[in-house]
Amino acid sequence: MSYAPPVELTEGRQGHYAGAVSRLVAFAADIGALWGLYTLGLAGLSFAAQLVTGHSLKFGNHQAVTFTALVVWSFIYFAYQWALAGKTLGMAVLGIQVVAADGTPVTTKESVIRTLTLPLSFVLFGIGFLGILIGRERRAWHDHFAGTAVVYSWDARAARLRWLAKQDPATQRRKSRKTVATEPDPV
Amino acid sequence: MAPNPISERIESMAQAIAERVVNLVMDAIDIDALLDGIDVDRIISRVDVDKIIDRVDVEKIIERVDVDRIVERVDVERIIDRVDVEKIIERVDVNAVVEKVDVGRIVDQLDIDALVEQTELGSIIAKSTTGVASEVLDVIRAQGVGLDDFFARWTNRLLRRNMADLPLGPPTLVSDVASGPGNPVTAADGSAPGARP
Repeated sequence: MSYAPPVELTEGRQGHYAGAVSRLVAFAADIGALWGLYTLGLAGLSFAAQLVTGHSLKFGNHQAVTFTALVVWSFIYFAYQWALAGKTLGMAVLGIQVVAADGTPVTTKESVIRTLTLPLSFVLFGIGFLGILIGRERRAWHDHFAGTAVVYSWDARAARLRWLAKQDPATQRRKSRKTVATEPDPV
Repeated sequence: MAPNPISERIESMAQAIAERVVNLVMDAIDIDALLDGIDVDRIISRVDVDKIIDRVDVEKIIERVDVDRIVERVDVERIIDRVDVEKIIERVDVNAVVEKVDVGRIVDQLDIDALVEQTELGSIIAKSTTGVASEVLDVIRAQGVGLDDFFARWTNRLLRRNMADLPLGPPTLVSDVASGPGNPVTAADGSAPGARP
């Protein structure tokens, strides 16, 4: 694969406010990971119950329990990861990170508040997320409540160097021949 | 009043006698013997040299000196042969010199991309990465940044807002000071933050 990240898009973005698309895709990836792990957990629990009791566990009969478990799991998923590294799995993939509004590392308290207020951004058709698109600092409601911001943590410069290093040797030779041909004759 | 003729004659006679006497005395004196008898060192010791120097206009003397002509006569090669360069280098405070060098400015002038393409550094970087997985991530992230910019551009256009007036990021991350170890982005990624475009 030879993809050249455009310089104007990639250089010097570390620490800048992350945009709506990166955040949305990261959130979607997180929801996928969260739901996948939750389903795996329930399947594992059902399997364990069948091994012990000999009867399969029907979660459909305990919707309140499964919903509570999902809420608790969601809280742990987001709060723990934000408090630990400032990023969730989805955010790590997209190269973005949660920091305090002034740029310092996010604290456990801020992570917990951010997680608890995250659902508030969904009310009224997700109006709380509009700040990411139109806000000066690209912050959603839960960012304002927790005093946090989301920035790019991806080292785009290193990505560009990787791309330069992995260029096709034939392309490099062609390029060097072209350079020699365009150089003026010293005589 | 009319001049006295007697006194005039006496005066001219005295003049003639004096001239004659001086000539006779000069013939009789041995000048060399007289000079030998003079203690020049004693005279010099009495001379106040500082006072003489004070009265000399040095600037005027320098103006008259043809420096180019003097330099032409100097054998520079011979002087250089005599200079002990190693001894001079030993006396140079290299740390003080290095402190004065603006390394950032030198680095700014380097074409890092060209350097990576032409040296083994590129292959070293390539080997140090995880290969295809990192490239896929680079692609996804670059696309994300591109789309972020696209939406940000259109939003700002609709809101009639100048992008240059908007803050790039949190103050501690986008300022030059942020490139230190206190940068949470750096600490989490283990990589240095990028400079402002």
